[in-house]
Amino acid sequence: MASTASPAASWRARFAGGAALRLESIVVLIVLSGIMAALSNVFLSVSNILNIVLSTSVFGVLAIGMTFVISSAGIDLSVGSILALSGVVGAILTSTLDWPWWVGILGCLAAGAFTGAVNGFLVTRGAIPPFIVTLGMLGVARGFALVLSDGVSIYGLPPEITWLGQGRPFGVPVPVIVLLLTALVAHVVLAHTRFGIYAQVIGDNEGAARAMGVRVERMKVLLYTLSGLLSGLAGLLFAARINSGEPTAGLSYELTAITATILGGTNLFGGRGSVAGTLIGALIMGVLQNGLNLLAVRPFYQQIAIGAVLILAVWLDRINSREGWRR
Amino acid sequence: MRKQGLAAASTAALALALTAVAAFADDKPTYGVLMKTLSNPFWGAMEKGVDAAGKAEGVDIYLQAVESDQAAEPQLNACNTMLQKKPAAMITAAINSTILLPCLKQANEMKIPVVDLDNNLDPAITAKAGVDVAFHIGSDNEAAGAKGADWLASQLGKNAKGPVLVIEGLSGNITGKKRAVGFATELKKQAPGLEIVASLPGDWDSLKAANITNDTLQRSPDLVAIFAANDDMALGALEAARAAGKDKVIVIGVDGNSNAVKSIKAGRLDASVAQLPFLVGMQAVQGVKKVLAGDKVPEMTYVPTLVLTKQAIEENKDPLMQYVK
Repeated sequence: MASTASPAASWRARFAGGAALRLESIVVLIVLSGIMAALSNVFLSVSNILNIVLSTSVFGVLAIGMTFVISSAGIDLSVGSILALSGVVGAILTSTLDWPWWVGILGCLAAGAFTGAVNGFLVTRGAIPPFIVTLGMLGVARGFALVLSDGVSIYGLPPEITWLGQGRPFGVPVPVIVLLLTALVAHVVLAHTRFGIYAQVIGDNEGAARAMGVRVERMKVLLYTLSGLLSGLAGLLFAARINSGEPTAGLSYELTAITATILGGTNLFGGRGSVAGTLIGALIMGVLQNGLNLLAVRPFYQQIAIGAVLILAVWLDRINSREGWRR
Repeated sequence: MRKQGLAAASTAALALALTAVAAFADDKPTYGVLMKTLSNPFWGAMEKGVDAAGKAEGVDIYLQAVESDQAAEPQLNACNTMLQKKPAAMITAAINSTILLPCLKQANEMKIPVVDLDNNLDPAITAKAGVDVAFHIGSDNEAAGAKGADWLASQLGKNAKGPVLVIEGLSGNITGKKRAVGFATELKKQAPGLEIVASLPGDWDSLKAANITNDTLQRSPDLVAIFAANDDMALGALEAARAAGKDKVIVIGVDGNSNAVKSIKAGRLDASVAQLPFLVGMQAVQGVKKVLAGDKVPEMTYVPTLVLTKQAIEENKDPLMQYVK
């Protein structure tokens, strides 16, 4: 026992505590916010800051799920489509079938988790690369969302559900609270539980994880199910924000989620992940979008800015890792 | 460390360069204008109309748009951001009839008048959501489709026979649906021998329209006409038909955008039912000025449409031609 306990302990030390949180991400966020605040007098108002976090909430939740999957050296390209499918399922249950609101919420989350579990089974049992499985699911889930809704958005959800998107207890939008709570729980799970640490161990060296006794297949199914579940949660927030199930919701959000994850310091090839970092990455994108909107910069430039900041942030990381700790 | 400093400095420089193009506020009233995407010439022309009227009326225009005409949630976020600037009025072209409702409701609460640009909001749904729209302005899309059918019948004659393809817009989008329905209904009246063999969603995508055209030509090689719910799709369909050697197929689009005008002048595209977005943009700003001054504005304003053909462009007789951009 002693011989297996000691490498486990050292792995724990290496992957625990959110050590992967990058200082550079925080610097980029602060510098960007400073520039925006200097140029727009509205930027630092409380209502605008809440507005930024609100606009980050949907893809932020997606990015948190993505952080787990990418930490384990996987990828989930189907999150945007699962978001749409879940929202449509929730809307059909409540609006079309007139079932109670909590059935809608459960249905929404279950649709997401189930689709994610299918991804997980195909990746493990089918031994198909995650890129292919989830790329396929990107089409399948979107197709089901369109079939179920007949291509039309389903409007009119129960007030309990729209409260999740539009309510403001103590002036704070509910999606902001959901995002922050999800991030808090997810951060603890990724950095401080065996589940989270094993996920990163698998991403670092799958063979070693297996040798150490980690049940890699079971872990992977759980990781994709988690990503699906969080996509379902994002779908719920999306539908609640706009009071309708939208089959075309979340187009290309998988790329936004991946961008936020990478901006936050999670290694695209696995082995290192940070939920706190992902949250900062998502906020960088939110701040950039909001600031450029406030300054009335033409939308064409906004895409250039977001792409450039991604490349810059990762470049900063490269420079730093050359000098310091290297994997 | 030196390299890190360099990188940080270049981050800052980049952000500054990008923000340097930003407009700075003065004491003129500001109208917020939220569009779909400026990469479609239709919205580009509308933006020009809005700008021209803004200059003429002494109003600052604060314009926002999103990256594609399917980016629904980003548009809601842009709308919320626009509210932070507290514009005097909000002129919005919603991506679909529900997405902007929470934001527009908040605008109502802030006593900011809301205008529906290009009839993207469904009055039944806005009423149900408790959103108050000052006025709707745009083109009558069903009439535009009908005008296309009318023109086709005038070209081929009342007794013409043969298969016709209709390419609709994005599935679920009300604009594309109305144009297709208007065309089909009028065609049945004017030339019942022309049979619509397929009516498929092209999702506003020219490539998709081209593929639909190719597929339909496999099944109906004697196709006589194609009606597409916008010009981008009409141009895609045109390329596919011509590439397949079908030089006689009449192709009709809707919008009258600059690409379509170019193609019509070159003798390629047969016709486009021009929507005059420049005029829509202009009249929207003029209407808002009236609303803010306390004057009455009709709840629903339809801006006229115009069938553009090579002959019509060359003769240039219609006074509306000046608004074709």
